[in-house]
Amino acid sequence: SESELGRKWDRCLADAVVKIGTGFGLGIVFSLTFFKRRMWPLAFGSGMGLGMAYSNCQHDFQAPYLLHGKYVKEQEQ
Amino acid sequence: MVARVWSLMRFLIKGSVAGGAVYLVYDQELLGPSDKSQAALQKAGEVVPPAMYQFSQYVCQQTGLQIPQLPAPPKIYFPIRDSWNAGIMTVMSALSVAPSKAREYSKEGWEYVKARTK
Repeated sequence: SESELGRKWDRCLADAVVKIGTGFGLGIVFSLTFFKRRMWPLAFGSGMGLGMAYSNCQHDFQAPYLLHGKYVKEQEQ
Repeated sequence: MVARVWSLMRFLIKGSVAGGAVYLVYDQELLGPSDKSQAALQKAGEVVPPAMYQFSQYVCQQTGLQIPQLPAPPKIYFPIRDSWNAGIMTVMSALSVAPSKAREYSKEGWEYVKARTK
């Protein structure tokens, strides 16, 4: 499980880099095309990317290997 | 009339550029699940440096500029997987081998003392 935790951290960092970069890039495109070179689309896009990465990470870390009782259905004999 | 057509054209061009960017992001699933992002980052790391090198070669050929050979870019790769809890692992393995090591060293010391006192 130690290596699994490390793998999750790796995935989280890669995901954060890609998401923030993508949001920033989309922000640049929209800032240049529709918003008269304002700065806020860049910040908005980067923030959205950061939020998505955070949410994915949270989901990844909270996903347990154990099945909780509430998800286990009773098997019919 | 011409101004109106021109503004419409400009809007269409801008809209297609922005829409193309959004479609590219959607198509590559860059804002999707984290494993897809990791795969995309890995793929970019493999594809981008050779493409940059080829592009620089092409620019050199076209413009006749002689760009000196640049040193290879540093490899930025910090796998946390390999170093996760490395300190704890080291301490625990040291603790686990500590009794046998202590026995070994004490035996060596005793042999040394015995050899000296003879």
